[in-house]
Amino acid sequence: MNSFIRKMISALAVSASFAFASIDAEMEGMEVVSRDDGTFLIGSPTFYFDRALGAGGIHSESELWTPRKLRYRQLFNRLSVLPSWDPIETPSVWMKTGNEVGDLIYQDFLTDVEDRPINRTPILEVGARTPLFHGLWATFRLFQDDHYCFRSAYAYRQYQTDGQFSFFGENWPMFSSAYGGLGYTNDFINASVLAGMEYMWIFTESSRWIPVQYKPRIEARADFGNFSTTLVYENAEYQNHSKKENGERKEVNGSVIYSCGENCKRSMLQLSAGLAFRFVNDDGVVYTALENDRVLWPFLEMRVRPMDKLKFDVMFGVNDRDWLVQDSVEYQVPAFDKMNITVGAKNISGTRLNPIADTHEFFDGDTISLTASGRMNLLQGYVRFEDSLTNFLGFGLRGSFWAEHGAETFKTEKFVKDEIYTFRHGDVDRINSWIKGVTGEFWLKLWYGEMFNFTALTGFERIDGDEKRFEVNPAEFFVAFSADWLIKKMFRISHSLRYRSDAEWNLRSKDPFIVKGDWFWDATFEQRFPKYGITLAGSIIQALGKEVIETPNGDYSRIRFFCTAKKAF
Amino acid sequence: MKKLITILAISLVSLLHAEDPLAFRNDSAAVANDISFSHLSVFLEGGEIYPMGDLMDAVENALYGGVGVRYTYWENVDGVVMFQYAYFKPMTDIYYDGVHQFMGRVGADWKWQLIHPVILGAGFTCSWTRADAEQIYYTKRGGTLTDNETEFGWYARISLPVFKYKEYSAGFHVMWEQLWTLPERSNMLSAGVSIERSIW
Repeated sequence: MNSFIRKMISALAVSASFAFASIDAEMEGMEVVSRDDGTFLIGSPTFYFDRALGAGGIHSESELWTPRKLRYRQLFNRLSVLPSWDPIETPSVWMKTGNEVGDLIYQDFLTDVEDRPINRTPILEVGARTPLFHGLWATFRLFQDDHYCFRSAYAYRQYQTDGQFSFFGENWPMFSSAYGGLGYTNDFINASVLAGMEYMWIFTESSRWIPVQYKPRIEARADFGNFSTTLVYENAEYQNHSKKENGERKEVNGSVIYSCGENCKRSMLQLSAGLAFRFVNDDGVVYTALENDRVLWPFLEMRVRPMDKLKFDVMFGVNDRDWLVQDSVEYQVPAFDKMNITVGAKNISGTRLNPIADTHEFFDGDTISLTASGRMNLLQGYVRFEDSLTNFLGFGLRGSFWAEHGAETFKTEKFVKDEIYTFRHGDVDRINSWIKGVTGEFWLKLWYGEMFNFTALTGFERIDGDEKRFEVNPAEFFVAFSADWLIKKMFRISHSLRYRSDAEWNLRSKDPFIVKGDWFWDATFEQRFPKYGITLAGSIIQALGKEVIETPNGDYSRIRFFCTAKKAF
Repeated sequence: MKKLITILAISLVSLLHAEDPLAFRNDSAAVANDISFSHLSVFLEGGEIYPMGDLMDAVENALYGGVGVRYTYWENVDGVVMFQYAYFKPMTDIYYDGVHQFMGRVGADWKWQLIHPVILGAGFTCSWTRADAEQIYYTKRGGTLTDNETEFGWYARISLPVFKYKEYSAGFHVMWEQLWTLPERSNMLSAGVSIERSIW
């Protein structure tokens, strides 16, 4: 990743760590499980709905393409951090293991076989990155998340694959990944080549889980000067063993981006430009297709800063099929300088939220179109206020109004039941009327140096319009209390207690699939050894809440515990 | 700019994965204050484990033995890592003789200065079990343990190292542990003796 984006991300990460308790994620890309600022519904590590309450529009964040996701994984039509092929930057070794709590152990002696709770399943990750040796380094990582998998494994998915479908165990996890490779880093270039193999279950618009085995997957990256380049080769094998169907997709994808450098960032006009591309070659039954077997997506980013307190950002991408514009303007009101008032507006317009995704899905003789004619338009205006009352107490609020026309949705023609699942036929479509929303968030922060910080955050959203049923009608209300303690700079406790109101999936089953509101508690306890660069951490995730399924055809989100050990070289 | 970043942070918090979780090792003040591992000792221990609550009807009391490492974390707080083994015999009619159980624990011990030499400790525990069975009958009671089963939980412990001689110390301890099992949580109490040798 280029240095600008990396700096931006680290700035965001640092500031985000003040806004949120730093609960360890069970796996890179699973941070959404512990997020408390909107609607986050997890069906599996490879499929979730993630929408922050103040984001505007009815789509989830992972449905939207943006230039900062160039190195995300394309899981069908979603862009996902998991399974991450970002090499860990610190030379270190790490391992992580955990389990959903609730196995029987000796309770088995007292429990009738028919009363046994369903099996609980683990996670596992091991990895290493070597220190530099004349600029050269090596890395490997093996990781697998068996959560959200057990119910569907034996009720449905095991018949789709020919034998075992993971590196470890017999739980049919939703993904299992292993890779290793070499890199070279000096003052001018940061380059790496990784190769590995992956098992993955990808969720589609028909609501099917499709097993895909990447064998091999090879990813090369090079960042030099203001350029970042990525080139990926994937040989993806598709199968449905019970139907004796097999297919293979050979794919080459990647990107190149020129980002605004240090000098350019000081100027009034800042320009970046890039190209994302995919080329596929399908053979046999692959279940999805990309029109013309290729997509080229050139894009341009521009920031204009006519004065310190005013800035415009524009992203524009276009090709022969689609176009997408994301722009925003933000102004710090100088009259209220001491009160830190910001007003801003943003707009997303385009023919498709993710223009580089596949265009068709094939399901039992039906071709599901993943694109819709016409365009969407999302407008949002907001005002934000934040003030520190003393050197240990601050508060803020943010209010916004948004309106969306032509929102992407799914027009269902028929539902089909199969074992525990409900599938759907139809096409991606648009809601050709205005959906309007108003949001409000309020937060209060307390802190004491770097030893303690506490945030209470609450938000509400009211959505209105002619169309009332969206893929997901998000939660209308949340409240969250999170805190980080850092004792003697060596022992960290981070935890968060939060409530989210009901959310509702409307278009993947005949009757709405309601995810009831609930309280959750997550916590991380970490011993740090600064002199030795070691951490030992234990985390409890999704405690308190009732264990429910959060997405149609998804699996139970269970209370789980995992521990992590890391040693930096 | 700070506010912009915070706004963006709210919508882009999924980028948190890019943060270096080991960055604290570059904090020179933290490194200077770090007295961890300034003392390290190893110990052997043994005793008896008593199942509590409904588990009293499931398994018999069992003897256990184990090893551990104790290291300085803060002035009055030690870090502790323990590994233990026990063999549990079922109380009910189960088709095998018993279950091998290995326990790993990570926690901290606080040395109570006021009431010397009382040490109060707590931490996380992980039990790995496997039935001592030749045949696998998954559908019989006890069948789940013929595959490997693991469960996490927490423990609290009081230690009384009353004897001291040069680099050796010995004493008693009592420990309560709870595993997060279903349909009920599993509680056990254990009591035993330990002998510890300071290495540095």
